[in-house]
Amino acid sequence: MAEPPDAIDLGRDRDLRGRRKDVWFRRSLLALVALVPVLALFNLFGQRPTTSNASVPAATLSVYAPTTLRGGLLWEGRIHITAHREIKNAILVLSTGWAEGMSINTIEPSPTGEASDNGRLEFTLGHIPQNKSFILYMQFQVNPTNVGHRSRSTTLYDGKTELAAVHQKVTIFP
Amino acid sequence: MDLAIRAIVLYAFVFFLTRVVGRRELSSLQPFDLILLIVLGDSIQQGLTQDDYSVTGALIVVGMIAALQVGTSYLSFRVPRLRPVLDGLPIVVIEDGKPIQKNLHRERISVEELTEEMRQQQIASLDEVQWAVLETSGAISFIKKSDS
Repeated sequence: MAEPPDAIDLGRDRDLRGRRKDVWFRRSLLALVALVPVLALFNLFGQRPTTSNASVPAATLSVYAPTTLRGGLLWEGRIHITAHREIKNAILVLSTGWAEGMSINTIEPSPTGEASDNGRLEFTLGHIPQNKSFILYMQFQVNPTNVGHRSRSTTLYDGKTELAAVHQKVTIFP
Repeated sequence: MDLAIRAIVLYAFVFFLTRVVGRRELSSLQPFDLILLIVLGDSIQQGLTQDDYSVTGALIVVGMIAALQVGTSYLSFRVPRLRPVLDGLPIVVIEDGKPIQKNLHRERISVEELTEEMRQQQIASLDEVQWAVLETSGAISFIKKSDS
């Protein structure tokens, strides 16, 4: 039999002695890599929106927005208020989780007033007649350095009276 | 800091990926593979620098990747026990003109692919080959029989 080339160990490199399990180890790692996009199909890494509701006799507050995001994503938050009775002065208060580390591209229709309620964003929407809806569209982009978990709450007031609140947890992947 | 961490994470992921995907996939650049490579590079770049267009950002990323590359290569050089993990090991795929099927199967190489590689190295027949070794780079080295 001819001599193998230098540095080639026939036991190790031809008969794969001690290397038989390597291929299964490699295949397992590859399966792990393939698992990431599979999990992504199940919305584990965002950004499919979900709807959260709070319904009270006076109104239904519905928040349609993704709860899982990634750095750099453009996304929409849609807040839908259905008045079951007349709301004289609708005010939406958004917790800091809505705006922290986000670029707010636009809010439509523009609230009639904007203020800070103890650090939270306060939007005055005005009058909503009985059985009518108000939909607020907000467009955001996640700042790339904004990573982690945040709580995001949306509270609807009629003047100073709290009507309904939706609480969500947001996860932002790098 | 954020850019440096991104560079470390993506370097580790790409390194890991190149080790588990299999060496042949990476060494044989068919037109489709070339396109995939460009798409891969573009996807990595977007995750790496995102909206940072600054020269400082580029210096951080390039510097970090260069340091990681040198570090990996130094580790492989200084610590021989890490070499199989970092670089892999060669595999003999032909001995005395006969393809070793179990080794070819393991690396997902067909005999047709092997003979194509031979032709590219001006070897017409398997009978001329004493040894063929799939190197850690993914290239196949052919050593001819002494009488051929």
